[in-house]
Amino acid sequence: MRKFLAIVVCKLGRFVGKLIGKGSSMPGKFALKICPDILRRVELPRHILAVTGSNGKTSTVEMIAAILRADGKTVVYNEEGSNQTEGVVTLVLTHATLGGTVKADVLLIESDERYAARTFQYFHPTEFVVTNLYRDQLTRNGHPESVYDAILPALHPETTLLLNADDPLSSCFAQGRERVKWFGLDHCSIDLDAPSGVYHDGTYCPLCHGPMEYDYVHYNHIGAYRCGKCGHKKPSTDYTVTAVDLENAQVTIDGETNIALAFRSIYNIYNILAAYAACRECGVSGETAAAVLSHYLLKNGRMQTFHLGAHHGTLLTSKHENSIAYDTNLRYIASSERDCAVLVIVDAVSRKYFTSETSWLWDIDFDQLNVPHVKRVILSGRYCNDLAERFSYTEVDRWSVEPDIAAAASELKNNGDEELFVVTCFADRDKILCRVEKEA
Amino acid sequence: MEVRIIHFYPDLMNLYGSRGNVLALERYLRQLDCDVTVEAVVPGGGADFTRGDFFCMGAGTERAARAAMEDLGRFAGQLKAAAQDNAAMLFAGTAMDLLGQTVREADGSAYDALGLASFVTEHGKKRIVEDVYGHTDLYPEAVVGFMNKCGTVTGVEMPLLTKLDLGFGNERERGAEGFHWKNVFASQLTGPLLVKNPKLLETVAAAIYARRGKPLPVDRPVDRWAQAAYAVTEEQLRLRSQAK
Repeated sequence: MRKFLAIVVCKLGRFVGKLIGKGSSMPGKFALKICPDILRRVELPRHILAVTGSNGKTSTVEMIAAILRADGKTVVYNEEGSNQTEGVVTLVLTHATLGGTVKADVLLIESDERYAARTFQYFHPTEFVVTNLYRDQLTRNGHPESVYDAILPALHPETTLLLNADDPLSSCFAQGRERVKWFGLDHCSIDLDAPSGVYHDGTYCPLCHGPMEYDYVHYNHIGAYRCGKCGHKKPSTDYTVTAVDLENAQVTIDGETNIALAFRSIYNIYNILAAYAACRECGVSGETAAAVLSHYLLKNGRMQTFHLGAHHGTLLTSKHENSIAYDTNLRYIASSERDCAVLVIVDAVSRKYFTSETSWLWDIDFDQLNVPHVKRVILSGRYCNDLAERFSYTEVDRWSVEPDIAAAASELKNNGDEELFVVTCFADRDKILCRVEKEA
Repeated sequence: MEVRIIHFYPDLMNLYGSRGNVLALERYLRQLDCDVTVEAVVPGGGADFTRGDFFCMGAGTERAARAAMEDLGRFAGQLKAAAQDNAAMLFAGTAMDLLGQTVREADGSAYDALGLASFVTEHGKKRIVEDVYGHTDLYPEAVVGFMNKCGTVTGVEMPLLTKLDLGFGNERERGAEGFHWKNVFASQLTGPLLVKNPKLLETVAAAIYARRGKPLPVDRPVDRWAQAAYAVTEEQLRLRSQAK
């Protein structure tokens, strides 16, 4: 009876919530109050595919869903990104019959790292993708190893893990397990010889703290690592990007499947590979996966182009409190060759919670902007002084400060015609997007 | 004046932008015309401790701190002697734990720390992550920062922050925080607290000068961006603490 009541309340709550524009976690919260173990009592699809990690969860899940649907499978997944336990309950119950059966081929769950253990207390995924694990939202998450410890109990022995072979930390999830498949990038054109960035999380082995060495690095400390003390090293991969051709925006998977990139970013390549691997594990052919992934444009619009005065602009959404996301976008700017201006905005550190914490700015390698084609950098938003202080420790010298975002936009609109890159977070992007002419 | 900074384990203990503390102090002292040398200590490596003016370590994960302590133990005698001799030190984040007697981890295992101070640290499963707004007896301005830890420190007789309006102290919510003895500054505040608190930077620099029997020069550099950033954060956190 409680199961039935929980499902009805959840469905009703979701219906009303949609009418009044409320988020999707509240109905699940009510359902859990009525029936705390509701997730044990429902009948779930044969394939339950979960995705977690520091970066790329939403994008990877979106691409997986698109591929599975193209393969003719019915998929239920949290499209709105409500990835904490309550959101997952809402997802499951709103797609369940009143008897508690989720009628779909695949239940696909984007799971928040810290809530995964609670979410998967009563059922476990058949396949679990961990995209990566590194510094991300430390004001909430503590640090990468505490996130690792939080995820570990969520990994059921019967679950097949799909792990990033290039990430020294999340690859440790394979310790003592048999059901593991690996995805990773071979040595390729975009590689560096040694870890990049201003901090070096790849210096010491996450298992024994012995010194690690790298044969090559794709970005930051993600690459071919090996520990001289305990032997922890990049394993051989089951799904592999064997070639990267950024000039022609193409990657090759397993030496034979070519995928055209809609966005030439290393993140996009990893997300594509993780999605490809997950779908292959669900029985989708490489051809079907490749056809969907080629030129795949993400819905969440992390690359928005626009016009501001005579400037053509690109918004590079960079998660605040995630230095690697910033570094990747700064690398993208540095690799572009046309003269450009860069507007960096930190106005609200988070859209979800209050904090004045700006330590993460010290983890970002802003010196990447010290290249001749970056003609000027404008720092804006409430925390522009923290940005300015950080920039005062770089070699970049063409930067200025305009606290008011509207004034910064106006100044750009009235001056110059160089390419413009805006680097900011979800929390702050609308503060600039409302002042530009967006491209379709 | 020549100043030698000894920076322990910069790659191992560098969470939350801790390296900013060394960068800020180095630049401040250079602007005061000091000839500054920064020497990094790596596990298994050495340093010339006798000539150290400032010893510092940043925050690391709990596992990294334990690994750091395994190496740091061989320097315990030298570090205690330097502290007794009024050398300036800053141990921030989990590095503060290492100054005490013992650290007990969340899994129940424990290890000995430096024993420079009498406190003990106990890690738990719960993570304490929050903004901090507090006060020190060293100067009138408020101290701002962020706490990111998973335990309590008990037995601190001389805290660095005597009162918190916002945040978790050594043992309790809004309790006293950190440790201060002679010229040893320690706090579980994470990240570049010398950048965030220009007055604390000045205080640490004054401690380095004092050991040489000199006052800080009257003409001191003013970092306008750091001051302005402090003003914004101080206001945000003060309002936050008043609203609670």
